[in-house]
Amino acid sequence: MDFAYIQTLLPSLLSGTVNTLKIFFLTLILSLPLGLPFALGAISRVWPLRFLSKIYIWVFRGTPLMLQLFFVYYGLPILAQNWGEQWAELFRWQNTTAAIVTFTLNYAAYFAEIYRAGIQSIDRGQHEAAKTLGFSRWQTMRLIILPQTIARVIPPVSNEVITLVKDTALVTAIGVGELLKAAKDANNRDVDPTAFFLAALIYLCLTFVLTLVSQWCEQRFSRHEQPIQEG
Amino acid sequence: MVILKIEHVSKRFGNLDALRDVSLEVEQGEAVAIIGSSGSGKSTLLRCVNNLERVGSGKITIDGDVLVDTAGGVAQYPPEKEIRRICTKTGIVFQHFNLFPHLTCLENIMIAPVQVLRRSKENVRREALDLLDVVGLSSKAQSYPAQLSGGQKQRVAIARALAMHPQIMLFDEPTSALDPETTNEVIATIQKLVAQKTTMLIVTHDMRFARESATRVLFMDEGRILEENTPQQLFEHPQNPRLQAFLQSVRS
Ligand SMILES: Nc1ncnc2c1ncn2[C@@H]1O[C@H](COP(=O)(O)OP(=O)(O)OP(=O)(O)O)[C@@H](O)[C@H]1O
Ligand SMILES: [Mg+2]
Repeated sequence: MDFAYIQTLLPSLLSGTVNTLKIFFLTLILSLPLGLPFALGAISRVWPLRFLSKIYIWVFRGTPLMLQLFFVYYGLPILAQNWGEQWAELFRWQNTTAAIVTFTLNYAAYFAEIYRAGIQSIDRGQHEAAKTLGFSRWQTMRLIILPQTIARVIPPVSNEVITLVKDTALVTAIGVGELLKAAKDANNRDVDPTAFFLAALIYLCLTFVLTLVSQWCEQRFSRHEQPIQEG
Repeated sequence: MVILKIEHVSKRFGNLDALRDVSLEVEQGEAVAIIGSSGSGKSTLLRCVNNLERVGSGKITIDGDVLVDTAGGVAQYPPEKEIRRICTKTGIVFQHFNLFPHLTCLENIMIAPVQVLRRSKENVRREALDLLDVVGLSSKAQSYPAQLSGGQKQRVAIARALAMHPQIMLFDEPTSALDPETTNEVIATIQKLVAQKTTMLIVTHDMRFARESATRVLFMDEGRILEENTPQQLFEHPQNPRLQAFLQSVRS
């Protein structure tokens, strides 16, 4: 182990990590709430809403994330050219922006599916109790169903979040300067794979921290389910 | 005063007649028990009264408001909002409690008066604490349903229904999911309500309870009310052979 060499690698790897985290957090902040309207749409009584939501979820879950990324970054500006130069300009994004847009749309579909399953797993008796107490459909959803859904979706959402950390490495393909790209560049430049080991270590640290956070959330949101007898 | 009036109500599930031309009146202060074998339509009748099921035909009037009427063979319901208003005049207690697990007992009782009736939190809280006292669970105000026994859950569910000040309480086998020890505390709570002249309709498999607490007992069979009488008459001198057979089977 050459500590002097590792030290020379660290600045570029860490600034790559900062970019990785930026994509990660922005995607998360945008896609977690965006999943909800699609989940509600997928179980809506209004069929056009249901249809559109299901198509959305199906397309984004059913095609490779890499394809979506290439389409948004390379394909969309070309397509927009047909509608006029101002449209093409509008969709000619920086690679980081294109990455965040794609990831947000993609992860919203996965979260929507998780939320939908969570909402539908709530016992029918809860809907009936709320209905007989006079709650409207929206009140029932907001006050009774969704709060219970949160506790149930935390484990599957955590899985997705951990996958997201690793998926951010895909954006190397459109040249975004994140952690994997920094490692790859170092390897190519120095013909020395040490940077890959360091990058792996950093990814492991990130997923480890996220595992702890998700465990904490799980406990925090399922407190009421524990039959603790208080004194 | 008639609180609940059911006239010629029928209900089908596919080609199964769950209710056949059922008529029934419940006066203020009455405690009417419904008995009958499994599948005879008892739950369906209660569920039609608070709109968890829609009737096929017939008329239901609750405290002077028409929940459903039939014209030209088609059941006619008022708009959604009006239905909700009428149905909050009935409070139902389910066999499986259906408490909201993410809320404390106190919150379970408070949520509907605050959110649906838009009453002030302070008043509702005071009343909810009184109701917990009535059902004997003052010490559990801050507990979550998962921390309670079955009987305690059912008593919270009763308090939750009462908090809406319903004109009539509907009980669907409130003790069937409980073990014998906790059954008694729930029965005692319901008897307390009977003593206070709370109007109620109780589906029950507990013949002793029907006999000792109800002011009137109905026997249902295959979607029909076959016999209706005071508890004493109905249990001592059953007329209909099917009721006689039913009583025989539950006694043995
Ligand atoms: N949602 C439904 N769909 C189809 N059939 C139903 C439905 N609900 C009830 N039924 C049928 O209607 C009939 C009456 O059911 P109901 O639940 O009212 O009986 P019950 O008298 O309450 O019986 P139990 O004592 O077992 O609770 C039964 O044959 C039942 O199978
Ligand atoms: Mg039943």
